[in-house]
Amino acid sequence: MLFKQINQFFRSITSAQKRAFLAGLREAVTPLIAVGTWGFVTGIAMVKSGLTEGMAVLMTLLVYAGSAQLTALPLIESGAPLWLIFAAGMVVNVRFIIFGAALQPYFRHLSKPKLGVLSFLISDIGFVIFMSRYGGSKRVGTNQQLWYFLGILVPGWVVWNASSIIGVYMGGLVPQSWSLEFAATLALLAIVVPLVKTQPMVLCLIIAGSVAWVTQNLPLRLGLAVAVIAGVAAGVIGEKYASREKRRIHG
Amino acid sequence: MVSWNFDWYMLGAIMLLCLCSFLTRCSYMLFGDKFPLSDGVRSALRYAPVAALVGIIIPELIPLSANPALIINSRAIAAVVAVILYLRTSNALYVILGGMVALWVIDLLRNVVF
Repeated sequence: MLFKQINQFFRSITSAQKRAFLAGLREAVTPLIAVGTWGFVTGIAMVKSGLTEGMAVLMTLLVYAGSAQLTALPLIESGAPLWLIFAAGMVVNVRFIIFGAALQPYFRHLSKPKLGVLSFLISDIGFVIFMSRYGGSKRVGTNQQLWYFLGILVPGWVVWNASSIIGVYMGGLVPQSWSLEFAATLALLAIVVPLVKTQPMVLCLIIAGSVAWVTQNLPLRLGLAVAVIAGVAAGVIGEKYASREKRRIHG
Repeated sequence: MVSWNFDWYMLGAIMLLCLCSFLTRCSYMLFGDKFPLSDGVRSALRYAPVAALVGIIIPELIPLSANPALIINSRAIAAVVAVILYLRTSNALYVILGGMVALWVIDLLRNVVF
């Protein structure tokens, strides 16, 4: 029954849809190498933080958010309260709300279940690649856009989970002296640096970093919460100041 | 007893993180028509991920200590190398590979020299 449905689904894919899917996949190949490396590192990091292999696989499949996982691991390791883990996960994932707000016009015509599945597959690279191709297009909600997006997201999901699970089970073969857990910190760094493009963003980085450094010995890793509040405030104030400067110069 | 508690704690953390993923990824796509975000909130939200990620990274790189030898440690230097590599190449992969190689080289040199 299910097999018949799957078969029917694959036979119903038109050649135009296939072409759009492959076009998306082509754009995604290089970033997918980075995704694979990062997934492997995250897999290792989960086991190193004390998760059993089963729990680590469960986390990979259910959470599917590398930066939230890597953020949560030091918190879990230090036994931070669950609400703080949840709050930290929400904050790190907040970018997905912004992605969702930007992507929603393209996919609002889909049924709710399809939209639910599609949005659970959204990734950073998926968003960046899709928007750099269709961000300025006048027609939104085309079938081509959907299949192009799927061509990035579906392989991304497969590569991430496969590499992560390989990391969970094979990571133990990597000697301790290689300090591979440092690669997890570097992976977070690799997400932050491209995001810091404007002056207010630099200000946010400096303030959040300084506050996090000074408050790192606070109990329950509350320093993180303080750093986020300070960083967001610095960014918003910096933005206001920058736009006032601009007005002064151009006005 | 302790390990039993620990497992429930772990499972709770995983479930809550799954909820995080669902809420942030799906909420706007599913119900965005009903909740327009104001521009002010939208621009403030842009800073939260950077602040949170930096808030995690900095304590991992630089421990709070009066001893300067701990503040300028091999991880912090390797991270600086990784950032410079990214600024030159714009390739996220090099941040991970370059940073790891830098860490190994620095640790090797330290073992040889001292």
